[in-house]
Amino acid sequence: MSTVSETISRGQPARRLRIDGWRWGGRAFLVFMLLYTALPMIWMLLTSIKSGFAAMQFPPQWWPDQPTLASYQKLLDPQNSVGQDFLRFFWNSLIVSTATTILSVIVAVPAAYAFSRFTFPGRNFLFFAVLLRNMFPAVIFLVPLFILMRAIGLVNTHGSLVLTYLTFGLPLAIWLLKGFYDNIPVQLEQAARIDGATRFQAFILIVMPLSAPGIIATAIYSFIGAWNEYIYAYTFLSKNEQLTLPVGIQRFFSENTTDFPGLMAASFMMSVPVVVLFLLLQRYFVRALTEGAVKH
Amino acid sequence: MAHVVLKDLVKTYGSFKAVNEVSLTINDGEFVALVGPSGCGKTTTLNLVAGLTSATSGDIFIGDRVVNDLDPKDRDIAMVFQNYALYPQKSVYMNLAFPLQMRKLPKGEIDRKVREAARVLDMTQLLERKPRELSGGQQQRVALGRALVRDPAVFLMDEPLSNLDAKLRVQMRSEIKRFHQDLKATIIYVTHDQLEAVTMADRMAVMNGGYLQQYDSPAQVFAHPANMFVASFVGSPAMSLIPLEASMGNGGAVLTSAEGWSLELSPRNAQKVARATTKKVVLGARHSTIKLHKSAVPGAIPAKAYTVEPTGDVTFVQALLSGAIVNISVSPNIAVTPDEQIWLEFDQERMHLFDSETEMALEAN
Ligand SMILES: Nc1ncnc2c1ncn2[C@@H]1O[C@H](COP(=O)(O)OP(=O)(O)OP(=O)(O)O)[C@@H](O)[C@H]1O
Ligand SMILES: [Mg+2]
Repeated sequence: MSTVSETISRGQPARRLRIDGWRWGGRAFLVFMLLYTALPMIWMLLTSIKSGFAAMQFPPQWWPDQPTLASYQKLLDPQNSVGQDFLRFFWNSLIVSTATTILSVIVAVPAAYAFSRFTFPGRNFLFFAVLLRNMFPAVIFLVPLFILMRAIGLVNTHGSLVLTYLTFGLPLAIWLLKGFYDNIPVQLEQAARIDGATRFQAFILIVMPLSAPGIIATAIYSFIGAWNEYIYAYTFLSKNEQLTLPVGIQRFFSENTTDFPGLMAASFMMSVPVVVLFLLLQRYFVRALTEGAVKH
Repeated sequence: MAHVVLKDLVKTYGSFKAVNEVSLTINDGEFVALVGPSGCGKTTTLNLVAGLTSATSGDIFIGDRVVNDLDPKDRDIAMVFQNYALYPQKSVYMNLAFPLQMRKLPKGEIDRKVREAARVLDMTQLLERKPRELSGGQQQRVALGRALVRDPAVFLMDEPLSNLDAKLRVQMRSEIKRFHQDLKATIIYVTHDQLEAVTMADRMAVMNGGYLQQYDSPAQVFAHPANMFVASFVGSPAMSLIPLEASMGNGGAVLTSAEGWSLELSPRNAQKVARATTKKVVLGARHSTIKLHKSAVPGAIPAKAYTVEPTGDVTFVQALLSGAIVNISVSPNIAVTPDEQIWLEFDQERMHLFDSETEMALEAN
């Protein structure tokens, strides 16, 4: 980058100024975004290791005088009622999100493949119909879906949430995956079929591994959507032992409004699975898997 | 090995006919080249034989079976794709092994066959690499290798040498030819390089616009092109085609140019012209059948040299004649300069005459 701007700028100082201006502008923007996203996280972490009294002080303690892990101990202790609730909410969220993720991959993969490879009557109509749902804010569907769930007897079950999250997550998952399949040359499957594979084997052995980044992206997207969702979980579930984390944390701590360190510790632990998921899977995103397959 | 028969094969995309009533018989052990310009339906024809696209109408036989409704895997074919289609996640070794694994061969035999193919294609050192770590020519050889490890009824090859440099191409050409002779393999070989077809094939099928134009041995196609398209497509430089007007009189025939000169035809050629449906006739002549004179000779036609291209062995002279460009090859020690006045003498035995209406070759009885 620097050599480019230097070659260009020779004898043209005005040009150099403009390029540098853009570059510094870009850096400043990135720094701003970094602070914007990281500062609340840092503040959350710091508050979670304060005592209840220290958290309420004004002016605030920028750095806790007496850091303590008491909030974490309380939340993770299955002996007391707070810990029991938190661990149950955590478990509920994990079940709902994992079920949503697995189902959405199972449905999105064949659907996206069909949209990408086959022509069938109503293909375009269906493809855009799939997107129609995403043109409206999610709350619009709250009441109709609740009535529907009650009619089929799913209110107060985790199944109602899994079904709802699927209808929200699938459209984008299918679009995303279709893009991946479009980029896998059809000749690869043809070659596999000539080499002795059935159509299904060609898909499983050749195409699936190449679409791994897409499947992983789809999975992460579905998981996070389900993990963070609040309104539907709040409406569809009323029994305490069924609540998911977003609702559980809110409901549980509104009875103890002053326990900010506890709230922050719970919020922090809620973000851990998502971060771990990203760290484990991010390396699959950077690889262009089909490189070398066909002549360009 | 098996023979292959295409019967009235048609493939349409919407209203567009990519392959049109093509009928071909490829004998057991025969090497047939499918040639034609880009977009003429070569790949489509090959895909129809492979079962990758289904025919709109017509029949395909491999051996004595009608294979129209068979899956590609059940047709017992191997194919080299025009764009290679290597499995990017697999090493070269696994790419070559895949067709054998799918046919459930024992491990030891797979290993032996893969290493043998790698040796023939000179890529033993590349076996552990991934396709993205290979050059274009190496990728092409892997694509070829994946077909050669098998022992199918028919080999289908879609421009398997198009991306190799000149030296490697000549080497691979003889490698494939040897392979064909040793195995008595039935091969359908697509190329748009007519030289490749002429040098390798037992017979060549020339296609244009989805239609089969001519199907014969390269020597026959070269010596007796069925129509003007084949005449201009096969041979390099292309056959010169000169539009003229025929007039018959007292037993003979004369071709007259709008430029004023005329050419008396031999009795045999006069017979051909007599069969034309129109007076407008096209004279075809290959560069080597035209004699160039630097002074007027009886029967020779005056022309002006246009460009001169020395290639070392021969010098190609192009002249403008009756609105057409005429290619003539002369020995390099004959000096011709552009715009020089020259005289051209056509070999009556080896000239071709075409009906300008139907574009078909005119034949004597
Ligand atoms: N799936 C398709 N849909 C519509 N038209 C197609 C399709 N596949 C091929 N065609 C058309 O059919 C014609 C023949 O294509 P084909 O690929 O057989 O040409 P080709 O002879 O192999 O050419 P090349 O030498 O460039 O490979 C082309 O005009 C092409 O545009
Ligand atoms: Mg082609």
